[in-house]
Amino acid sequence: MFAYAFRRLIYSLPVLVIGSFLLFWSVRTAFDPLAKLRQIRDPEVIIRETQRLGLDQGILVQYWRWLSGFVTGDWGVSSRTSGSVKPMIQSALTVTLELLVWGLLFAFIVAVVLGVWSAVRQYSFSDYALTGISYLGLALPAFWFGLILIQFLAVWPQQLFGWDEPLFFFVGLTSAGEEPTFIDTARHMVLPVLTLTVGLVATWSRFTRASMLDALSSDYVRTARAKGVPRRRVVVSHALRNSWGPLVTVVSIDAALLVGGLLVTEQVFSIPGMGRLFLDSLLAGDAFVLLPWMLITGIAVIVLNLVADIAYGLLDPRVRL
Amino acid sequence: MQLLNIEPNQKSRRPLTAVIALMASATLLLAGCGAGSSESAPSASAVELQQGGTLVIGAEQEPDCMDWIASCAGSIWGSYMAQITTTPFVFNVRKNGEDWVPEISGIMASEPEVSAGPPQTVTYKFNPDAVWSDGTPITSADLKYTALQIRDGEDVLDKTGYSAIEDIATPDAQTAVVTFNTVYAGWKTLFSGSYGLLPSHLLEGKDRAALMADGYTWSGGPWVIESWKKGESITLVPNAGYWGDKPKLDKVVFQFTADTAAAFQAFKSGQLDAIYPSPQLDAIDQINTGIPGARVQVDAASGNLEAIWMNNATPLLKSQAVRQALSYSIDRAAIVERVYGPLGVKSPAQSFYPPSLSAFGGQDFSVYSLDLAKVDSLMTGDGWAKGADGIWAKDGNAANLKITTISGNLRRELMEQVIQEQLKTAGFGLTIENAAAADLFGTILPDGTFDLGLWTLVTTFPDPGLSFAFDSNSIPSDANGFSGLNYSRTDVPGLNEILATVDSSIDAAERLKATQDGDKLLADSATSLPLAGVPNVLLTLEKVGGPTSINPAEGPFWNLEQWGLVK
Repeated sequence: MFAYAFRRLIYSLPVLVIGSFLLFWSVRTAFDPLAKLRQIRDPEVIIRETQRLGLDQGILVQYWRWLSGFVTGDWGVSSRTSGSVKPMIQSALTVTLELLVWGLLFAFIVAVVLGVWSAVRQYSFSDYALTGISYLGLALPAFWFGLILIQFLAVWPQQLFGWDEPLFFFVGLTSAGEEPTFIDTARHMVLPVLTLTVGLVATWSRFTRASMLDALSSDYVRTARAKGVPRRRVVVSHALRNSWGPLVTVVSIDAALLVGGLLVTEQVFSIPGMGRLFLDSLLAGDAFVLLPWMLITGIAVIVLNLVADIAYGLLDPRVRL
Repeated sequence: MQLLNIEPNQKSRRPLTAVIALMASATLLLAGCGAGSSESAPSASAVELQQGGTLVIGAEQEPDCMDWIASCAGSIWGSYMAQITTTPFVFNVRKNGEDWVPEISGIMASEPEVSAGPPQTVTYKFNPDAVWSDGTPITSADLKYTALQIRDGEDVLDKTGYSAIEDIATPDAQTAVVTFNTVYAGWKTLFSGSYGLLPSHLLEGKDRAALMADGYTWSGGPWVIESWKKGESITLVPNAGYWGDKPKLDKVVFQFTADTAAAFQAFKSGQLDAIYPSPQLDAIDQINTGIPGARVQVDAASGNLEAIWMNNATPLLKSQAVRQALSYSIDRAAIVERVYGPLGVKSPAQSFYPPSLSAFGGQDFSVYSLDLAKVDSLMTGDGWAKGADGIWAKDGNAANLKITTISGNLRRELMEQVIQEQLKTAGFGLTIENAAAADLFGTILPDGTFDLGLWTLVTTFPDPGLSFAFDSNSIPSDANGFSGLNYSRTDVPGLNEILATVDSSIDAAERLKATQDGDKLLADSATSLPLAGVPNVLLTLEKVGGPTSINPAEGPFWNLEQWGLVK
């Protein structure tokens, strides 16, 4: 197992290097790192910064300087904020991961329950109903669903019952000007978590259902049933256990993509995570943030894919790592 | 006048950066525009306020930094929230009758004395009672430190006026004498509007950027920055050492709310006590729908001017006749009515001075209303003829144009679509090519790779200088490192001299005549076309009291210390 993980990590290095170069080249081509400085009417500053940043050198030299800095922890200075990039990304990543952990956990549990329910009641009314709802969940745009949740779960109940404040908050992750408490944070987390999970639940529940149906129609399940093993135990211990592998793979890949993909949810709920950092940096043409941001999300994809492979092997002994 | 280019949901306090912005003088309640509550709600200033309490205000934009001198501090929201409230200015903009005018602030013992010279000098006398939050007096050393940081600094947002400072003498702690190397009529803009004074005793000899960029603990105003949680909020608390009237509130939290729809919902639900949204279409719709329990203040006479900017350097738009024809092709009144009508702005701007500075401008652009006969006359007179596709053509070149603005600004995009249709009717092709703010202000406008553009000039101080936008020496070029701000490449004979008079004359009458002459010359040559003053909107819950109003230069929170919670 360790050897496999190590081998995979080694294999990932060239992918990372090539990917990071392509990223660097594309960002460097698309954005002028000195765009903001050009607005301050001082040609000498442009010349000095060009030399300081090595922008007058070849693309490979520039890339090597940047990559060396990244590896040694010097991620540069944001052209937008004039602050260090590393703490900006660390802060945003922490916020996104907090949201993501709760979202993935919630979505995973709900998706498995719904998927198993659908599978064991294949072609029943509830199966058809859940299938329809899943498609609806897949079709809902996050920005729209987020606003709908705000209206239905926060604004309307507050108006209906005449509460001083809504049951669920929808600005930030804590109440402004107050010390954060568990209850306050929870009231802020509910709506963004629901928003980000609706699509995940829809996808993963369909996936679980399909995997479960495969497992339930397999020989070992029929054998277990023939031997008189109770249905509940067959479903949970035999069929579901053999469905974990593919599901964990999908969850890992989705989680990796969501590290940088919560832009809409974070924007709607004013959450200072990776998505908003990307948007702010993109609009400001801040190449100094965009580059490490993209590399971090790329690393997340690679690492979580590795985690998925390892998890798959652990869950299914038939897979040799 | 200190004018800024601004754009969509971001607001910039200085040339070239983001987008839309501020508001101006006459604050009128939104009666009759469907806001519903404005007529029934009692006036915010007429109610009795309690001492203490917390106010949460929604902020559309987070500042990039708080080093107000540096290029990273271009956010007008940063100025509203933390600069206006913590840094002392020599002049504040205050309402006098119907006008918002510069008035000396409490840090001054008397009106600065101006000597025409040459060389021109301005003598500042400081109020010995004015102190920083640590009790240190605000003195001439602070003025000198601030001026030199701006004049001699490298990463400085805007050096206009400060580069004209030759010398600063500080004969004593209460006196500073600034000597200019040229006549600078806009001397009142110095240490006011864009830049307040900085505490030399805390910053001299140190890395100012490092000490200020992420916020600072000192203050020379009624508030102190308690915290700046990046991406979340800025919290202000009263400055215990403030020599003037202390704030009524215990705390003000500016909560960053990037999404307009969510911000309105948060306001309706009471999570936010006040919001100051850009007048985008969705915000206008929300206001018109009605917000129970809210006061809506709309300031139509703002310091913002939105215009259709023409690139006078392109082969097509070099022709004055073509520019005039374009100006007669666009029904500005219809556009303004459609976009800003619900907020009470019914007429297009007829001057390049925004509504808050209307006294300096004329009505010369009023000649440009929709008149297709004049379009035909001007174009044919310039040698153009309509082709089979209905588009004017000359020497094998069709009159096809590109228009650009910051992408994602729905109001501007709507304007572009209307202009596209109107120009098509008049025989001009128009392609919409919008771009991100950084690309627009960093590359497209400096390089001049556009034909038409939509952006806004924003007033940060009531001074009428316009040379930065229309003086031919400010056309971006190699000579100025493509950093000039005359993006429209305006180069009208005689205009530079007039603008120089505006900048250098300290004779009020002569200056006024020059501003009006300049406006007329701009209109006659149709270098660009003003559209409308962009109204500003402030919404507060009824529990918020005090003399809430929108200052066209300093924004809506200029008198935040007088706000409070209703008893």
